[in-house]
Amino acid sequence: MSLAAGPGRAGTISDQLPDELRLVVDKHVSYIQSLDTRRDELEYHLTEHLRISGIYWGLTALHLLHHPSALPREGIVAFVLSCLHPNDGFGAAPGHDAHMLYTVSAVQILAMTDGFAELEDSVPNGKRKVAEYIAGLQQPNGTFAGDDWGETDTRFLYGALNALSLLNMLPSQRPNEPPLIDIKAATDHVKSCLNHDGGFGVSPGAESHAGQIFTCLGALSITGELDSFLGESGKDRLGAWLSERQLDDSGGFNGRPMKLVDVCYSWWVGSSLAMIGKLDWIDRERLKGFILRCQDAEEGGMADRPGDMVDVFHTCFGVAGLSLLGCEGVGAVDAA
Amino acid sequence: MSHGIPRSTTTSHDNKSEAAKAKERKQIENYKALEKDVTERIQAQDFTNPTFQLTSTLLAQNPEYYTIWNHRRLLLQHVFAQELASNNGPPSNTTSQEPAHDASTTTTTTPPSNTQKKDTTLSPAQREISLLINEDLTFLLPLLKQYPKCYWIWNHRSWLLSRTSRHLPASASLTFWQAELSLIGKMLALDSRNFHGWGYRRIVVQEIERLSSRGEEEGGGSMVEAEFEYTTKMIHTNLSNFSAWHYRGTLIPRLLSSRAASSSARQDFFDDELALITQALYTDPYDQSLWFYHQFLMSTLDASNPQAGVILDPVDDGVRRRYLEQELESVREMVEGAEDCKYVYQALLEYARRLREVGGTVGREEMRGWLRELRGLDPLREGRWMDLEGKLGL
Repeated sequence: MSLAAGPGRAGTISDQLPDELRLVVDKHVSYIQSLDTRRDELEYHLTEHLRISGIYWGLTALHLLHHPSALPREGIVAFVLSCLHPNDGFGAAPGHDAHMLYTVSAVQILAMTDGFAELEDSVPNGKRKVAEYIAGLQQPNGTFAGDDWGETDTRFLYGALNALSLLNMLPSQRPNEPPLIDIKAATDHVKSCLNHDGGFGVSPGAESHAGQIFTCLGALSITGELDSFLGESGKDRLGAWLSERQLDDSGGFNGRPMKLVDVCYSWWVGSSLAMIGKLDWIDRERLKGFILRCQDAEEGGMADRPGDMVDVFHTCFGVAGLSLLGCEGVGAVDAA
Repeated sequence: MSHGIPRSTTTSHDNKSEAAKAKERKQIENYKALEKDVTERIQAQDFTNPTFQLTSTLLAQNPEYYTIWNHRRLLLQHVFAQELASNNGPPSNTTSQEPAHDASTTTTTTPPSNTQKKDTTLSPAQREISLLINEDLTFLLPLLKQYPKCYWIWNHRSWLLSRTSRHLPASASLTFWQAELSLIGKMLALDSRNFHGWGYRRIVVQEIERLSSRGEEEGGGSMVEAEFEYTTKMIHTNLSNFSAWHYRGTLIPRLLSSRAASSSARQDFFDDELALITQALYTDPYDQSLWFYHQFLMSTLDASNPQAGVILDPVDDGVRRRYLEQELESVREMVEGAEDCKYVYQALLEYARRLREVGGTVGREEMRGWLRELRGLDPLREGRWMDLEGKLGL
């Protein structure tokens, strides 16, 4: 799976109306299939530190596009297992150090490919060990570090809850066993990242950011506290902040006030709006048009903005955005 | 991932000439060889200067390669531990010459006299650690300038600084953290919205406060006044800075409590901030950063917002009405000349709603008029305005 940009470029034809644009499903599928054949490019090797997440993004897009088997399952599962580190976390590629981000991608891929049995075959009690690696990164204040070096971020906290939930290892999923993590401390930490404007930041006091809002809502949604914590007025404030991310000139979303639009925010902002029941506070058709203009209609793939180089990350989150909005050829997605 | 890379900067691989392809093959070969060399050396625990230099070469080519940053830290950690183990003699005199690069020289150092301030004296090991950290911070500078959004570079800086807190006396560590603060100031002057820069600034300030309050009375090291001043400076440079306004807002509760502000001092402060933002809004009502700050100030009057900024002492509905009426009046005046600015109507409707909640009155017809304007100007969010219409009972 190459994380290199291109080769294609997103469409630049501005006089095309959104409803004349259509999703080029087959081209996106073959674009994703072609990504692992690009080993003769330097960029393929320079992006090895993202490899396993790249597979997750590619696979997610394929699932949403109803082509879940377009990448060879055996090869994927074998690759994921080869990224397992002696400390029971996963690295981005064989030989790379374990990190929360890549452990989450690994667990997500194993869940999508039904590969947990192979994990257990290759490491006895493997699911439990991976869960313990994740749990071991929780900090005394409830948040999670990315690895042993200690950087913390609400991204890691959400990732931890997401992966533990897929592993069926959340305290609520094993009520008769000692909890692996302190779920209350984790939830309290998320709550302390809430700002007066209704958004969430990367840590307490940090400014609201659409990506961080997604992770915090996702975490609250997994722990079942989203509605009770935000309440109606909290949702109104957050919905107002999020809906202002849609820009009138392009129809796309930005991630913070006065920043450029980017197709990946179609997902971070869109799913956040969906989680608080306010997806109708934005213009869905305009957003859809923007996402479709971010695709390379000839060679497949999506870019951050029309005219830029395509890559698998933006392809995944553009397709996920379409899935949220409802689009022919794309399956439905759960926002959290 | 690629953000904002236009097509013209790269050529599709298939269209490259044979010569270009051969060159790329060679680059890949060299890169993979370097990667292999570094990895094998680390596996063999070869924590020597040549290994360190190789990680520099590799990271300069690929600063996103997080495992190599980890290798670099392992190596530095090893060197620090060795220095400390071989230098557990007494700290050297500050007047002694070159820092000791060799354990054998430590025997020649003079013990500190009792009159010397402890913190200004570094042991040879601490001097060596201090030099190494300084060198590494210097190595990171050009990388940070080239890749200001690379998480791993910021992480590595943060780790290096945390090592000074662990291994050096407070005063020496403080010098490092203060230099870091001035560097962030320069970076934020170049890109005033850098997310990493603002987050990192908060960490650095916290650490400076912690180190400088040691041995002094509680709150002795507080930088809240200086940081508040900094946001004033940033805002005067460029009004449209959501990050600076946000930071300013988070500082205010601490600022007022460190000033032990009385109720009337708090009210004066609140009035001054309102005057500042109102003036800014007259300059550019189309800037949503400013409206978010106005909204933040007004949140102090909003009992239903648990995240409201604590600016005023607890107030009753009479005070709430007075301020809401005052701000409504001020925003009404902004309409003229900004008839096509949706934020003005949003603010009018929001503050009118809240005024009605605390017993004030705003004409329904006037509110309907604002909503009509808003819908005309902002059809993208029609769903939101429809909900608002229902909520307001218009």
